[in-house]
Amino acid sequence: MFVLVVGGGKVGYYLAKELVEAGHEVVLLEKDRARADQIADEIGSIVLAHDGCEGKYLGEAGANRADIVAAVTGDDEDNLVICQMAKHHFDVPRTIARVNNPKNESLFKHLGVDEIISPTRMILGSIEQDIPVHELLHLGTLGGSDLELIEAPLQAGSPAIGRSPNDLTIPEGCALFAVVRAGRAMPLRADMTLAVGDKVIAIGRAECEAALHSQLMGETEAVGG
Amino acid sequence: MSDHEPQTAIRCAVVALNGGPSDPRIVRLAIDLARPSKSILVGVHVVEIDWTLPLDADVAGRSEDTQRVLDLAEQIADHARYRIEPVLLQARDVGAALVDEATERSADLLILGLPYRKRFGGDFAIGRTIPYVLKNAPCAVWVVRDPIPEEGP
Repeated sequence: MFVLVVGGGKVGYYLAKELVEAGHEVVLLEKDRARADQIADEIGSIVLAHDGCEGKYLGEAGANRADIVAAVTGDDEDNLVICQMAKHHFDVPRTIARVNNPKNESLFKHLGVDEIISPTRMILGSIEQDIPVHELLHLGTLGGSDLELIEAPLQAGSPAIGRSPNDLTIPEGCALFAVVRAGRAMPLRADMTLAVGDKVIAIGRAECEAALHSQLMGETEAVGG
Repeated sequence: MSDHEPQTAIRCAVVALNGGPSDPRIVRLAIDLARPSKSILVGVHVVEIDWTLPLDADVAGRSEDTQRVLDLAEQIADHARYRIEPVLLQARDVGAALVDEATERSADLLILGLPYRKRFGGDFAIGRTIPYVLKNAPCAVWVVRDPIPEEGP
């Protein structure tokens, strides 16, 4: 697979290195020449010292035949531009963008970036899993779609407690498919009774969230009410 | 030979052929150097493939210019009654390909020609292949720079 990585920071460097070691064809675009030379010294002549935000240089780097373009610079705007050009000018089948500000995620999705990696969101999700919350947790996005993987921790007072999955009104376009109980994952069955402490794993679009929340966790309380 | 004397006999030398006017000179020099110890000479011409094409694209094999570079080296060697093994490579980077070839063949010496050229502004331009080879080649490196052309009237 030919992967074009744009951005030679820590993420880009280790990504390119791992891909090369896994036997993939890789080219890395890094606009800072000193940094580009440093990476080339370490992982070989796969580095071009150019700004990946410029179409000319994306072209020189072989975007026309890339299977994947991964934009992993520290700048969300640059990553968006790179993915847009890759997708629409070079017909790259799959674009992946690093998004630093979670507020930009929906914009990236809306503008057709295939996959979004948000380190901030990941860390936030990890922290939220360790603290008692009354919210749905976003575990990630299903690659190449706008479907979210969601975890609903059932707590006392949840309307789903003591009911079977068949008794719940699940919004259209959303599916419950697993339960994590006492550290064990099991498929959701019709004869199952949901209990406090269960974590229900669901998959669905963002617009299903409110209905899902209402079924599994109860109505959202008004903030500051 | 004492321990302090440099070892001059070579077993295998890689001669980098760039297709320029320096090629005949370095092939003759390589033959003169190789003959006493009957060293193996490998003439390598590297065709750089940019990233818009896959590395195995059929580029070098179709080029008559490329074949001519190797033919010229072989003709010079024939004339001198010596054998040079022609090797044609495709690579992303000439310097890295030369270093790899020298490493694979466990060559003792890598010989390169350096055309005398100036960049815009008048400074001598050494290019990027020679510095890369000097920095990375595992064997001795011999760079033969072309003479400075005489100034016109």
